[in-house]
Amino acid sequence: MKHDQPQLIDALAAEYVLGTLRGAARRRFERWQSAEWHVASRVRTWEGRLIPLALGLPPIAPSPELWERIEERIRTADAPHADTARRRAARPALRALAAVLVLCAIFAGGYVAWRMTEPLRLQTVATIKGAQGPVLWRIELDARHERLRAVALASAAARPGHSFELWALPPGKGAPVSLGVLPGAGQLERKLTVAQRAALANAAQVAVSLEPPGGSPTGAPTGPVLFVAALTRA
Amino acid sequence: MSNADAVNSMDDELARLVHACAARDRQALRQLYDLMAGQMLASMVRILKRRALAEEALQDVFVSIWQRAAQFEGGRGPARIWLMAIARHRAIDVLRSERVDLYRAADVEQMPEPAMESLGDWSSAGRSAAALARCLEELSGQQRRGIELAFVNGYSHADIARVTGEPLGTIKSWIRRGLASLRQCLER
Repeated sequence: MKHDQPQLIDALAAEYVLGTLRGAARRRFERWQSAEWHVASRVRTWEGRLIPLALGLPPIAPSPELWERIEERIRTADAPHADTARRRAARPALRALAAVLVLCAIFAGGYVAWRMTEPLRLQTVATIKGAQGPVLWRIELDARHERLRAVALASAAARPGHSFELWALPPGKGAPVSLGVLPGAGQLERKLTVAQRAALANAAQVAVSLEPPGGSPTGAPTGPVLFVAALTRA
Repeated sequence: MSNADAVNSMDDELARLVHACAARDRQALRQLYDLMAGQMLASMVRILKRRALAEEALQDVFVSIWQRAAQFEGGRGPARIWLMAIARHRAIDVLRSERVDLYRAADVEQMPEPAMESLGDWSSAGRSAAALARCLEELSGQQRRGIELAFVNGYSHADIARVTGEPLGTIKSWIRRGLASLRQCLER
């Protein structure tokens, strides 16, 4: 499936939540949403829109013995899983170790790059454009991945009362990391934090979401994802 | 306490219980069951028609909540929506595997229209159900009927075509346009 068609994703998410997406298409869409956060985020938006309709139905009391059957199933389900629970408990430690290794790699890579190239020579790592439209922004990084510059190329994207925010998309289900608000015109350059650099090092894609002025108030995308672009390594 | 406050504290309480389930607190699952099972069953019986089938699916839902509680992220939406979504997706999955007679009446005492005026009590996280009710009103009668048959009764495009006698393509476009107008209206 195409990954850069926000309208298609939104329409599929709506029919998935409504229940009319069926059969193989439903299975395919479920796999897609568990792999891609921006697809999952559209599903959550539609759940928030439609599910109040189900909450308005008068409740029906379940049969009295139903709870006992649930309890019984949980007891049997939990017993053989003690092992995996322990393994799961070890995961945060592994993740932290992986993060440390990634950071070491970034610092080592940054140091080598610093020795080999002039500082602040910027290289384009992503171009953001609509399905057919012109390129809207060019995203550039310096060789040390310390500074990011976003250059607005077309003002067609301007939406009054909103900001466009750039996100690094981690592979799999991880949460996107904000890389800041994009300029409506001209260019913006900023120093990246360690977290942003780590996110960029892991990311294969960046996305742009529509947010309230000044960017997302929550640290996660709150508006629709308008564009997704591949990240090429500087 | 206003309705909105009541709803928020209900969502806070549900979120707390889901987190407690993630920490393997069975008492918390029981409390979630007391708060949500009736609502879930109401929605699932309308989709699956037979009460016994819906109750079996409801068991699966609570086992699934117990297993997936750690995946719940409070910041990403109200707990009630997350819980209800699990119930609805399960019901639709069961529809696929069981031969459900979609056209029999559901095992519900009476089949009232969804109580839109009572939806105000369930407003949550800034996107009030009252807005949904208002936006559904703005749709054409055909679009609204298509969306309600799909959402409440669990009908597929083909099922809706059969009960309305309209061609499948027409139904698909009613629903597609209805959802697009709904989105536009809710984003206003």
